[in-house]
Order: sequence, then structure tokens, then C-alpha cells
Amino acid sequence: MRFFSSRNKEIAEEIEAHLRMAEQDGIAQREFGSTLLVRETTRDVWGWTRIEKFVRDLRYAVRQMRRTPGFAVIAILTLALGLGATTAMFSIVNSVLLEPLKYRDPGRLYAAVNLPSPKAPTLGLWLVNARHFHEWRTHCQSCEDVALATSAAGASAGVTLTGLGEPYVFPALYVSSNFFRTLGVQPAMGRDFRPEEELPGKNDELILSDSIWRSQFGRDANVIGRAVRVNGKPVTIVGVMPPDFRLPVGNQWGPDILNATNAAQATMFVPLGTDVSKAKGDGGYNYVSVVRLKPGATPAQAAAEFYSSIAEFVREFHIGLKPALFPLQETITRRARAGLWLLLGTVGAVLLIVCVNIGNLMLVRTASRDREAGIRMALGSSRAELFRLVLSEALMLVAIGSLLGVALAYGALKLFVAAAPVELPRIGEVHMDARALGFALAAAFLSTLICGLFPAWKLARTDPQQSIKQGIRSQKPGGRMGTREVLVGAEAALSTLLLVIGGLLGASFYRVMSAPKGFEAAHVIAQDVTLAGAKYTDKDRLRFVDEALGRLERIPGVQAVGMTNWLPIRGETWICTLWDATLPDKRGIAPANFRFVSPGYWTAMGIPLKKGRLIAASDRGRAVGLLSERAAQMLWPGQNPIGKHVGGCGDSDAPNSLEVIGVVADVRAGLEKEPPVTVYQGYWDSTFGSRSFAIRTQADPAAVISAVRKTLRSIDSEASLSTTTTMEQIIDDSAAARRFETTLAVAFATAALALASLGVYGVISFSVARRTPEIGIRIALGARAPQLAAMVLRQGMTPVLIGLAAGLGCALLAGRFIASQLYDVAPHDPATICAACAVLLIVAAAACWIPARRAVRIDPTTALRFE
Amino acid sequence: MKEDDRYRNRIELLQGTLDMLLLQTLRWGSRHGYAISQAIRNGSGDVLQVETGSLYPALHRLEKRGWLKSEWKQSENKQRAKFYSLTAKGKKQLAAEHNRWSQMSAAIASLMKEPA
Repeated sequence: MRFFSSRNKEIAEEIEAHLRMAEQDGIAQREFGSTLLVRETTRDVWGWTRIEKFVRDLRYAVRQMRRTPGFAVIAILTLALGLGATTAMFSIVNSVLLEPLKYRDPGRLYAAVNLPSPKAPTLGLWLVNARHFHEWRTHCQSCEDVALATSAAGASAGVTLTGLGEPYVFPALYVSSNFFRTLGVQPAMGRDFRPEEELPGKNDELILSDSIWRSQFGRDANVIGRAVRVNGKPVTIVGVMPPDFRLPVGNQWGPDILNATNAAQATMFVPLGTDVSKAKGDGGYNYVSVVRLKPGATPAQAAAEFYSSIAEFVREFHIGLKPALFPLQETITRRARAGLWLLLGTVGAVLLIVCVNIGNLMLVRTASRDREAGIRMALGSSRAELFRLVLSEALMLVAIGSLLGVALAYGALKLFVAAAPVELPRIGEVHMDARALGFALAAAFLSTLICGLFPAWKLARTDPQQSIKQGIRSQKPGGRMGTREVLVGAEAALSTLLLVIGGLLGASFYRVMSAPKGFEAAHVIAQDVTLAGAKYTDKDRLRFVDEALGRLERIPGVQAVGMTNWLPIRGETWICTLWDATLPDKRGIAPANFRFVSPGYWTAMGIPLKKGRLIAASDRGRAVGLLSERAAQMLWPGQNPIGKHVGGCGDSDAPNSLEVIGVVADVRAGLEKEPPVTVYQGYWDSTFGSRSFAIRTQADPAAVISAVRKTLRSIDSEASLSTTTTMEQIIDDSAAARRFETTLAVAFATAALALASLGVYGVISFSVARRTPEIGIRIALGARAPQLAAMVLRQGMTPVLIGLAAGLGCALLAGRFIASQLYDVAPHDPATICAACAVLLIVAAAACWIPARRAVRIDPTTALRFE
Repeated sequence: MKEDDRYRNRIELLQGTLDMLLLQTLRWGSRHGYAISQAIRNGSGDVLQVETGSLYPALHRLEKRGWLKSEWKQSENKQRAKFYSLTAKGKKQLAAEHNRWSQMSAAIASLMKEPA
């Protein structure tokens, strides 16, 4: 500024000298009335004025902010929160949905899955069979590589690492030797697997993830070549993956049924250990597959080649499945996409309300400044300058707000990553990058416009004569909808939309949680136990279970103990074909979930018996089974299934045909899915290494947990125990993603409501303040309190009601998009919509009520003296 | 920016011509603004009067272009004033303007030869 003022001074001096000389010569300077103008015009030649004016405007803005610090603080804070939340949400959308996967040339990567036959009950996309994979890998011409992966199937979906403290199950993947090559990722240390290491007997290599290398091996630089025992078998560590290497987990691989890949990031990778060229061509659909296409090849081409390569098995086993390829990125983010976009839209709407609110409050303040504006214009200020003045004020607010907001977003992201459910794909990759900052900048720019445009426009339209002559009080007393009312209406509309969305999600969440699950979750402890490794024979495993069942039951406080190969709500798995074993043609009619359970299981889980009897301990060695109601209904609709025979699904020496002795209630395998068709067999028919115990307790399960662990550990000190949990916890975890989305949506709706009510309050109380003299006259002339209150309420609620209607229209239009996020609630659910409207109306009315009461209490004498 | 327009209109009437005149009055040495305006007025027999509102913006414009340089000095009446003088670039510009002006005035004169 010194630079400008020194030039100003010089010009002033120069012109002064001119004037003096002219005076000495006796020349009248008619046009020198406006020396100032000459000075300014001269200065303009030097071209600095634009910046100088801008700086002056900003100084003015700062002065304005200092004059009304309350407004400035509220504006900056709400802007910071709005911009921060929007930027954080965009960063998530950007990192999860928009950024390409961090593999080599990710556009050519596809997930291979099986499409179910149209006849099968909907189980969604299916997993892959190892032999099919072998045929695909050998015969697919359009593929550069086809890879396969599965976890150590079982409740814990991991392998037991021994030699490092207490045996513990680490999430692990068994992969085909070309798995990392297909993705285009190399170990950061050591080497990749070799083709021959895929075969049984040669698969004694191990590749570590960076995280386990850090946590369990202390970042040992000499870890390559070190020997450890995995599931009791000695293996050699050959590689460590880079720190940023991440894989999709669970059903992010594509299949909808629960698949053998873990819910947690795999920490260890072991070669398959299966000769896939000799695997059976049907059943054993336990794998996920990833394909890299050759450049230019299409997924349809590859899928057709896949199908023709397994034609032999399709004929032989009547396979109804059909291979299909989906882009890997799309597959990974499929379930999260709509929800994330919805949240971004919601938070964007909140930001919009924030801006409209600030614009509105500024408008209110500008209105009281139109006298100032009139004077400025009379003094030669141009409309453009006034316009700029207000915009620069908005800019100042947004600039500070967005700086705070970006800092806030940075913190919010960390919090988000910590709080987000594990199912959210690519959660570990969420970060703020240049694109997110660019988005923040664009959002800030738009915010400035929305905040500043209305007040700036309004102020620039001031008629100087009118405003100076008449002053503040004789503004039009209402009636026609002004800009302020339109803005209030817009806020009400956006709030309505967000309230409806939040309400629908909330209702869905409630329905999900309260839907009958087929069992009683309260007071049930869940404990997974894995007996891994060659040291256990099938008999050892059964003996362990027998002993555990007996001893757990004797723990004080335990009511019932059950055991199953897979707990409810944890997904669909152990799927075999359901068929009527009495028919000569044993072709399956549908895939069914098979559960190998102990006799006490139904009692422990609280699953009611519907017909016949439960399996008893005395049924050991007898080929008997239980059906779920849906299974019975599917096989023998309208008939009594007791005594009929159904196909089994156990170990190779387990019975092939089971006599149906009872029917139990349907039990959900997933919170939001209809219960699957289920067949129960005795646990003695399967010797699989991993089991889950369900223990019903009398009171608080927490008291019994340590006794349960101690008992199991005392039976076998090398059994690996998962973290003990409860069925309620399993349900809660399973609802985590929905809870997360619902919480955010409801929080955003609440914020929108609060902001909108602030907006309504601001506008109405300003209007009441302005109309004080008018109201004073009304009171003096005999207006009653209810009439006055009604007048104020009417003025406030009219734009709100119009906004409400507009918001409902938007909500109905958005219904189709929201529908994918809802459970058992229609997007136009009348109860939810009514509730949302009621909440909005009550809050808005309350916001109007305070200024209305103030209006009623106006003392006419003071008000008129004010005049 | 309204106030600018108001003055720019007047300047534009003389644009080029005013610049040329200013350079011309400075061809024999440095002068301050008032002396320049007087020189133009006297030299034209009171026909051309340059208003300060045009004069100073024009002087500063020429200075910014590098055709003039300025210096604060004592005037003949012992007053402090800003004196303008031609730079080398300014002299070249003046010569060019001279040429252009003679061509143009000759052309206009030949067009206006015929009486109305």
C-alpha cells in the first residue's frame, strides 16, 4: 500500500503545482472542481488500481466482519464444516470409485464369476471351480493370464502361524502361482511364486504382506529364507509384498454368496497346493478368479472361450452356471457405489444450505445497509463497485472457511477411515490428493458465488434517491415473495429432501435390525476354533468337539451349547445340491446351505422345531438330516417331508442319502437376504478343521467368556481360538456398513434442518425488527396478540411450505436412486415422508415462534417513538 | 468504471494528436505540465486548450511507455514542479509522428481542396 500512496501523493503534488501556477497567471480553472477525479484518472494510467481496489475491498470486508463478529464466526464455522465435510466425502468417492486400482494397467483386469442358472433360487453370482479355472487358463486365447485364489476355508478363513507366540489364525490366501503376475504386482523383497510351486507337495513357500512383516517379524531384513510353520507344516518365506499392496476382501471379488476369501486383508500368501488339472469338474465352487485380458480383447469374448472350454463338464454334470467377466474395479466397488454417491450428494446439499444461509444473512444485513449503499452511489461509487464490495465480503468468509474446511477434511478422513466398516472397498487407499483439493477450490468458488451473488445483486440495485430519502423503516412491509423468502424456501426444500432420505435410511436400518432372523441372538457367545495341520486326524478333531461340547455345558451360567460348521448371519457357504434322493435321476433342483451341527445347536441358538424331531446324540452313525422350512417346501410342497430322503453333503465316507426326521425354522445367513434353503446333518458327518461353538448363557455372556476360552485351551493347547464374540455382535458387525451410511445421512439431515431453521429464524426476526413501527401502529390500532403472531407465522411459514412441497417432489424423483439403498421400505413410504414433513414443520414453526413472540410484545409507544 | 469513461471520451478525441503535440512541445528541452499546457495554448493562438484531466493522464501514459522521462526541479519562479523531457525513444516516436502527420494532413488537405 505504501507504493500506491507514494504515487498518489506525487500526482497530488504535481496537480497542486499546476493549480498554483495557473492561479498566479490568473487563469480560472473551471474544471478543477474535481481534482480528485483527475488524480484518480492519472493514477489509473499506471494500471495498479485493480489490485489496489481489490485490497481495499478486502479491507472493507475485514472491517465489516469485525463489526459483526458473531455473524462472521457463524458463517466461517458453518462454511468450514460444510466445505470440510464435502471435501472429505469427495476424497472418499475419489479414492474409492474414481481412482484406478493400484495394479499394472488395471483397465484390463476382470473378475471371473459364475452366473447362476435362471432356474436356481437367487443366490447371486457364484464362485469358481478349480478345474474350470485350469481349463480357462489353458484355453483362453483372449486372456493374458487367469489367476485363482481362495482362503483356508473355515470360520477363521486363515492359517495358523506357529513359532511366534500363542498360535493365532492369520488371514491368508492360497493363490495360483501366477496370481501376483496377473495383477502386475511384484514382491518388494524376495521373489514371486514359480509355476511348479502350485502343485501339492511343492507348495512350501510363503509370501508375507508388508503388515505382518512389520508386526510379527519386526521388519527383519533377513526374513527371506527363514523357516516358519504354517498349519503345522514347515514353509520357507520367499517374499514380502510392498506396503501399498491391497486386495479386495470378501465379496468385493464379485460373488454374492459368502466366499472363501477373508473379510480381512490377507497377511500371508501360500501357493494353491492343488493340482487343478486333476480337480473335479463340478462342486467345490470355492474360489475367486481374476483375469487379465490381452490388449483389445473383450470380456464377452473371454467368457465365451471360458464356456466352450468347460463344455464337457457342463454336459457331464448338468452345470447350470455360466462364466462371466466383470471389470475388476467396478466389481470391487459395486456394493458401495450408490451409497457413496448418495452421501456425497447429501453432504453437497448441506453445503448448499450453508451457502444459501450465509447469502440470506448477508442479504438481511445488506438490506439494512441500503442507505449506506445509496450514499456511496450518490458519492460516485459505481454499481459494479458495490457489487464487488459485497462479493469480496463473501470471498473473505469463504476463503477463511475453506482453509479451515480443508484442514477439517484432513482430520475427518482419518476419523472416517478409522470408523468405516471393513466392507467399504479400498478403505485403506482413502486419501486427499490434488483432485480433492481442486474440488475444494471449485466448491469454495461456487460457495462464494452463492453466498455473495444475491446480496451483491440486491445492493447494486439500490436506488440511491429512494434509500437516502426514505431511510430504513419504510421498506415494503412484506406481501410479495422477496429474494429472502425464495432462499428460505430453497433451504426448506433441501432440508425436506435430506430428511426424507435420512428417514428412509433410518427406517430401513430399523427394519433390518428388527426383521426376524430365525434364532434368538441375545445371550449367545460365538467362538471359532480351528484345529489345523497334519498332526490332527479326523478322529482327533471329532474327539475334540465331543469333549468340548461336554465340558462347555458344565461351565456355571451356561444353558446350552451347540456347534456348527458355519454360524447364521455370516453368509452363505458350504453349498451343495439339494435333491430328492428317492428319485432315480439325482439331478439337483437347487443349491442349498449344508450345516453340520451338534444335537444341542438348535436349543443353543433358539431355532424352533417345526415338525418331527431334532437330531440326537444317538443318531450318530445313522443317515438322518433336518430340513429348513424352505427346503421342505421346495422339495415336497404341501407334503409331509418326514421319512423322505434327501441327498447329503459331507466327507467322502458320509452318507449320500439322509432320512428327513424333522423340519426347523428358516434362519438368515445374511441380515438383508431372505433365509437360504438349508439342510442340517450331524457334525460327525464332517471332519473339517474349523468349527464355531454357540453357547447360550443365563445372563451377561461377558462373565462366561474367559471360562469358555480356558476350557477349550485346556482340551488342546494348540487349538487356535478366534476372538470370542456374541451373536449380537455378529449381527451388529454385519449391519456396520448400513449403520455407517445411515448415521452419516441422518447427521447430514439434522445439520440441514438446524441450518434451515437458523435461516428461517434470521429472516423472520429481521423482518419483525424492521416492521417494529408498523407493528406498533397495528397494536395501537387494536390488533390482538394472536392476530399478530399469526401474521408473523404466516410470513415465515409460507416459503417453508412451498419449499416443503418442492422438496417432496425432489424426494419422489430421487426415489429410484435411493431405492437401491433401502430395505423393506418403499422410497415413497408415506409414514417416513409424513414424519419428515412433521419434523420440518415443527422446527420451522419453532424458529418463527421466537420472533413472533417478540412481535406480540412490542410496546407501541416505544415503537412509535422509534419512528 | 464510469468516471474513467467520462474522461476517456475527451481524451479519445485527441488521442494520438495530443500525444504528438506533447512530444512536439518538449522537443527543445524539459518543461513541467503547466508550461506544456501553456505552450500548446499559446502556440495554437488559444485554439487548443488541454484540460488537466486529459493532460496529466496523457503525460503519465507517455512516461509509462518510455517516451518521456520526468524529474522534480525548481521552476523559473522558484517553485517545485515535475519536469518532463523526451527520451531517445520519444525522439524517434516524434519523428515518426511528424511523418505520419504530414502525410495525413496533405491527404486531408487534398481531399478538402474543393470548396463546399
